[in-house]
Amino acid sequence: MQDTVALITLVLVTLLAIVFVMVLWRASVPAAPGTTADPGRYRAPLFWLLVVVGIGVSYGTLVEWPYGPGAAASGEPTTATVTGSIWSWEINPAQLPAGKPIVFAVTSRDVNHGFGIYDPDLKMLTQVQAMPGYVNKVYYTFPRAGTYKIVCLEYCGLGHHVMAADLTVSP
Amino acid sequence: MTDIALTPRKILPSAATAVRLTIALAALVLLLMMVLGLVLRLAQSAWIDIAPDLFYQIMTAHGVGMVGATGLAGAAIMWFFLNRYVELRLGVYYLFLAFFLLGVVLIFGGIFSGGFAGAWTFLFPLPAMSGGVWTPGASLAFFIGLLCVGVGFLVFYLDAGLGVVSRYGSLARALGWPQLFAGAQQEAPPPTVVASTVVLIVNTISIVVGAIILVISGVNLYVPALAIDPLLAKNLIYFFGHVFINTTIYMAVIAVYEIIPAYSGRPWKANKIFLAGWTATLLLVMAVYPHHLLQDMVMPAWMLVMGQLLSYVAGIPVIVITAYALLVYLHRSGIRWDLASALLVLGIFGWAAGIIPAVIDGTISVNKVMHNTLWVPGHFHFYLLLGMVAMSFGFSVWLAQGEKPAQPFIPVQKIAFLGYLIGGLGLVATFLYAGKISVPRRWAVHLPEWGAQDRVGSVFAALAVLATAVIVVNALARFVRAK
Repeated sequence: MQDTVALITLVLVTLLAIVFVMVLWRASVPAAPGTTADPGRYRAPLFWLLVVVGIGVSYGTLVEWPYGPGAAASGEPTTATVTGSIWSWEINPAQLPAGKPIVFAVTSRDVNHGFGIYDPDLKMLTQVQAMPGYVNKVYYTFPRAGTYKIVCLEYCGLGHHVMAADLTVSP
Repeated sequence: MTDIALTPRKILPSAATAVRLTIALAALVLLLMMVLGLVLRLAQSAWIDIAPDLFYQIMTAHGVGMVGATGLAGAAIMWFFLNRYVELRLGVYYLFLAFFLLGVVLIFGGIFSGGFAGAWTFLFPLPAMSGGVWTPGASLAFFIGLLCVGVGFLVFYLDAGLGVVSRYGSLARALGWPQLFAGAQQEAPPPTVVASTVVLIVNTISIVVGAIILVISGVNLYVPALAIDPLLAKNLIYFFGHVFINTTIYMAVIAVYEIIPAYSGRPWKANKIFLAGWTATLLLVMAVYPHHLLQDMVMPAWMLVMGQLLSYVAGIPVIVITAYALLVYLHRSGIRWDLASALLVLGIFGWAAGIIPAVIDGTISVNKVMHNTLWVPGHFHFYLLLGMVAMSFGFSVWLAQGEKPAQPFIPVQKIAFLGYLIGGLGLVATFLYAGKISVPRRWAVHLPEWGAQDRVGSVFAALAVLATAVIVVNALARFVRAK
């Protein structure tokens, strides 16, 4: 996901930059007398292009509820309760199975925290906010066994960056 | 509507002096806050050693200071140009400045004297539960300081609203709604008036909302029984924060509407597309804030979906109307570039380009792996550092060169502009790259695996700071010489 997002961003920003450079490159050369710019020429097509792309992307990203377990997940999810408090995590059970959907029920005992799951290569897999007085749920199916990392992703004071834990996922 | 409502007039020297003072102050604060930002990157690079408590104090100061400084610069721009069309009171403007400065003293006192490090978002109940790191008094000073700044802006916007209504009859007329919805044939109010009216409406609302959460959070420090629901608090804070920071850009873009025509020879017109864009923005900027809460799935589902969909829609006016119009006005216009025009045009590019990673992050499935990583400062530095702030510096330089277009683009200015562009782009790119590799935001200490991008980012940040220093010192020297 992250690689795709970065690539799309790079392409779109580069395209925008090219358009700016193309126009600005010759902006200091005045148009011949009698000629005027036609502001409407590309505006409507650009507008409709954005509308069509926006509708398509909205449909593609929302047709399957993004907060659900995912179409690929099968079977009843295993529940893991997660409680954040300054500056540590309690996860129960401490060991979870690979290949089965897990639903993390996440809350906080004090301030806002962010429950982030990272794989052993430090790539973020998913996240949800840990809030006092609320239980946020996030689904995830671990593809393989290993030691995953739990970090805090909402600023929570002095120990924010050390609020981490290991999560063991067994075969 | 009278002719005078459409025709700009020259503002009084006393008013121009007040704006010069403000923009000089804002430029210096921006530079200082950039230095603080550089310190944060250097600490994450492990090139300097800062204790975590001081790091988070600096982080809080950098965030709140940047929001305040961009607000101040934006207010100066809006007040300067709105003054050309409506009567604004100099006394009220100085009252705004007085409240602002009082607020700054309290905020920075709370941070660096009291140790407050709750971030500029001060999410409830963190200010009251620091784990013993700072006292309730420090949080209270921070809150009262923010309230003072808010009161200052409220006074500023109320006076602007009074001036607009006195001149145009109603806010609806100032927004050009008779032309947009009722087919009125007379010319719509100038772009400056339309944009200013949107800003004063939405920011009056946002400041009142911000004041509510600030007062409750302040009372809670000493009366814990008087608490607020943390989710409601989050909604109020992000509504206030989102609207306020976006309006800083809307105020800055007024400089583009007013100054670029003097370079291009083509007046910026408030046609129906322009009016529709600003009316859409009026609604969108207030309705889109749930995209900050996409990881709070206890929010109503419709609000989360709305957060995604409106994020997409909100990008359209910026790209299809403002950026597009700028390019049309500049196309083969015979513009003679100088530092002011280069910065103003860069500002529109930075705004439009920065929206791209921001909008993408507004997609729920993307947000699940990008939210609260360095991707976020990546996109907001794009549309603030290379957008809003570039426009503000463009305005400062234009003021400093005697409000004249097409002045000589001297070599030192060219080098400074290139440094600002390269430094800014490099800083933004390293932030975005860090987001791509999942580096969390707001961590005082980074893992060694993330060090390379931190160090590259620090180099670009240093270049941006250096270039900014040259631009600011150059402009201030001209102010002093002109005086």
